[in-house]
Amino acid sequence: MSDTAPLVKIEGLHKSYGGVVKVLQGLDIEMKAGDRVVVIGPSGGGKSTLLRVLMGLEQIDRGSVGFGGKPYICANGNGKTTIDAKVRRSIGMVFQHYTLFPHLDVIGNLILAPMKVRGEKKAEAEARAMALLTRFGLAQKAKAYPAQLSGGQKQRVAIARALMLDPKLMLFDEVTSALDPELVAEVEQVILQLAQQQMPMVIVTHDMWFAKNIASRVIFCAGGVVVEDGPPEQVLGSPKEERTREFIERVFHIKH
Amino acid sequence: MTFDFAIVLKFQHALLLGLWTTLKLTLICILLGCILGFLVALARTSKNAILRGPSSVYVEFFRGTPVLVQLFWIFFCLPLVLGVELSNMASGVIALTLYMGAISSETFRASLKSVGREQLDACVALGLSPWARTANVVLPQAVLRAAPTLLSNCISLFKESALVSAVGMADLMFVGQNISNNTARPIEVLTAVALIYFVIAFPLTRAVTVIEQRILKRLAV
Repeated sequence: MSDTAPLVKIEGLHKSYGGVVKVLQGLDIEMKAGDRVVVIGPSGGGKSTLLRVLMGLEQIDRGSVGFGGKPYICANGNGKTTIDAKVRRSIGMVFQHYTLFPHLDVIGNLILAPMKVRGEKKAEAEARAMALLTRFGLAQKAKAYPAQLSGGQKQRVAIARALMLDPKLMLFDEVTSALDPELVAEVEQVILQLAQQQMPMVIVTHDMWFAKNIASRVIFCAGGVVVEDGPPEQVLGSPKEERTREFIERVFHIKH
Repeated sequence: MTFDFAIVLKFQHALLLGLWTTLKLTLICILLGCILGFLVALARTSKNAILRGPSSVYVEFFRGTPVLVQLFWIFFCLPLVLGVELSNMASGVIALTLYMGAISSETFRASLKSVGREQLDACVALGLSPWARTANVVLPQAVLRAAPTLLSNCISLFKESALVSAVGMADLMFVGQNISNNTARPIEVLTAVALIYFVIAFPLTRAVTVIEQRILKRLAV
């Protein structure tokens, strides 16, 4: 990967459900390796779908996604989507509803993929898992089951689980939306920690304080297209587009 | 009217033999029925219409007809259709296995369905292969979720197995009925038979509740 090649290159991305509900209608986004992109916008504007496409969870209608200068996702035109599974493995995702495996304890959740996907030895994977859990203040919860954890703890475990595979890009899909307000900070702290270590990330969030603090770049998405794209001070502070301004005013109004 | 429960003790050996037949039949049919039920559940949830069609017809038919009718049909009609002799035990096993397969397949189907799409998304995001996904995530959760209902299915089967006495299999019910006819002591003998069924089924029904609570607690995420 050369320094100038974008980490993610999305071109002409179209996605609909059943050809009727058009969710993404021609997205073009280039992301550099140092970017921390926060995607904001109204519900149904395609933010979450964009992340799901990037994770390789969705078929697309048209367009392509490149990753690290290589082709990653491509619409073949006959309704089929080609997804490079090897490239996909270098991307990690954390979901709104934790999606921990309830039948495994915390450490079991962390080591499953490294052992099954990379063939890592159990002892080795466990040592790495413990180091991560310690870093996230969860070492004493290693043997607990997800049902015994608070929402904030579950989400931190989910982040640790994704990091076990050493992703080159992290996707966060409204990871604090299901949390009680007092638990939001502990999860955001962990993500801010990752940001300090220059982890490239795409974040979908409704938390404007968080967006302002973590983003190197904010994209306002509505109606399946990019309406505005720029540094956080511009998009959140003094947006150029009318639709962005309306949205920001409404969101901050609710906040106050 | 005087009761003489001592008479039951006189026939305890015969009753125990009957119980042994009942247990043997039940356990064989639980084992075979669960395997059949799991395969049928997979067939019914598959994308392939050729698998889905017949398996659905089978399940709905066996759920929608009395077990006694199924048993009589297999005992009296199946040998004519196939042109072979079937022992009591063989027809009993076939009938109750098919019954258990039908009811347990519904249990498995519900539990397979309960492993949500989000769990599968998480598997994809973690790069797990379809095989690792099924073996390490879907199957363990499905079996855990199915356990309480499956145990209820087994208890039903244990009780329904008394129907095989109607086709002359020497199970607990059959033996009890014979003793009660020969001794003209129906109250003592049939009460004893009921108690034997109860003593076995009751702890199992309690176990269902305990297991259910534990599993729900574990899987409630």
